[in-house]
Amino acid sequence: MSLVILDAFDTENLIEKALKNLLQKRGETFFYFKLKEMKILACRSCGACEIKSPGKCVFHDDMPEIMRAIAPGSLILMLTPVRFGGYSSQLKKVLDKLMILVLPLYTVEDGHLLHPPRYGKKSLLVIGLTGQNLPGEEENFRLLAARNALNMQFTHKTLLFTPTDPMVKIEQEIDRVLCEVKPG
Amino acid sequence: MNRKRLLLLNGSPRKAKTSYVFARTIKHLAEKKGHKAEIIHIIEYFDEEKHFDALKDIILPQDILGLITPLYVDTLPYPVIWFLEKLSCDLAGELKGKEFFAVAQCGFPDADLLHPLLESCRYFAKAVEMRWLGGLGYGGGALIDGTPLEKLGRKGKKIISAFTSALDDIVEGKNISPSAQGLLTAKIPKILYRPLAAFLNYRKKREAYLQGVSDADLTRKTYLENYKL
Ligand SMILES: Cc1cc2nc3c(=O)[nH]c(=O)nc-3n(C[C@H](O)[C@H](O)[C@H](O)COP(=O)(O)O)c2cc1C
Repeated sequence: MSLVILDAFDTENLIEKALKNLLQKRGETFFYFKLKEMKILACRSCGACEIKSPGKCVFHDDMPEIMRAIAPGSLILMLTPVRFGGYSSQLKKVLDKLMILVLPLYTVEDGHLLHPPRYGKKSLLVIGLTGQNLPGEEENFRLLAARNALNMQFTHKTLLFTPTDPMVKIEQEIDRVLCEVKPG
Repeated sequence: MNRKRLLLLNGSPRKAKTSYVFARTIKHLAEKKGHKAEIIHIIEYFDEEKHFDALKDIILPQDILGLITPLYVDTLPYPVIWFLEKLSCDLAGELKGKEFFAVAQCGFPDADLLHPLLESCRYFAKAVEMRWLGGLGYGGGALIDGTPLEKLGRKGKKIISAFTSALDDIVEGKNISPSAQGLLTAKIPKILYRPLAAFLNYRKKREAYLQGVSDADLTRKTYLENYKL
């Protein structure tokens, strides 16, 4: 399993620690991207990545580094605080640019109109950290992660933790889920 | 009549496309009813063409804020989330007690896809203690691609009447009634998805061909190739 971690937390946190601990124990190799430290320009919806420059953004930023890890990889792991029942802007800056993981063409799968994947099917694990969230935000977060997986035709799992969850619990949960997610 | 002031936030980085034509229509409809409305582009604050600090004076006299935005990967675009995060950090006091609504549109012809985005807008409103008036979703905004609604015939008329009905509620501080969403929802039967996909693929491949890009190029696995940055 080749693993790419997109960490949208601004500072070091429990999830990052637990995850790194676990991956070390499992002897897993992985790419770790601390998104705050990366220069990722916002998608301008210019459309160039569809035809003019297929599968590649024409603006120069750090996306190629991430894409070179993701394209051959099988599992994308996204870590984010839960913001307004969704992702933080730090994660979204990359996610908007991951539309190049799909082709600018259309297909119908299980009654859904979708774009075919450019690099085959992968798995997505979304890990959220709830803060002072309102009732319903967690469900919306889970729904969003499920929609992303459908959009990209990936298999997926979602985990949500609170800041008071002990490290061992976080490690165990991630360990369990890592065994379950397999590229579709 | 109680004249209201509306601030419409265009969430698209493209300043003259579908989100903008929706915002422009809502602005005109509000003005026709005697209200004041202005449009600002979030991308100008994101790009620091305009100072975020200046927003305080813009927001203070407003009664109602409305976000008009496209869907990006199943939720709000990055610059919009950035903007809402910053509003909630820096201007929550100024926003408190005002009213908020959202109109979202997406590429695929299915307004249900906009649900998580509209829910995020509702949670934002709650977080800054604004009064959430509700959201509207339109599936198929990519096909409009910035064409003024007046030029869209029957489809445009339906969208305008949905906005008119929603605006009646909005300026009275009422929740947007479900009938407005009813006017906006034009669900394509799933049985038509396959011919639609075939038609869209034909169009895209032809567009590519005319630009000298072959089918093989279009589907390149760019990041598995050796290439120079
Ligand atoms: C990065 C990106 C991601 C998008 N993701 C989706 C999506 O998940 N679902 C969808 O239906 N449309 C999606 N779209 C299409 C836009 O929502 C659609 O084209 C919209 O009409 C653009 O609005 P605008 O004209 O105001 O810019 C996406 C577009 C871009 C550029």
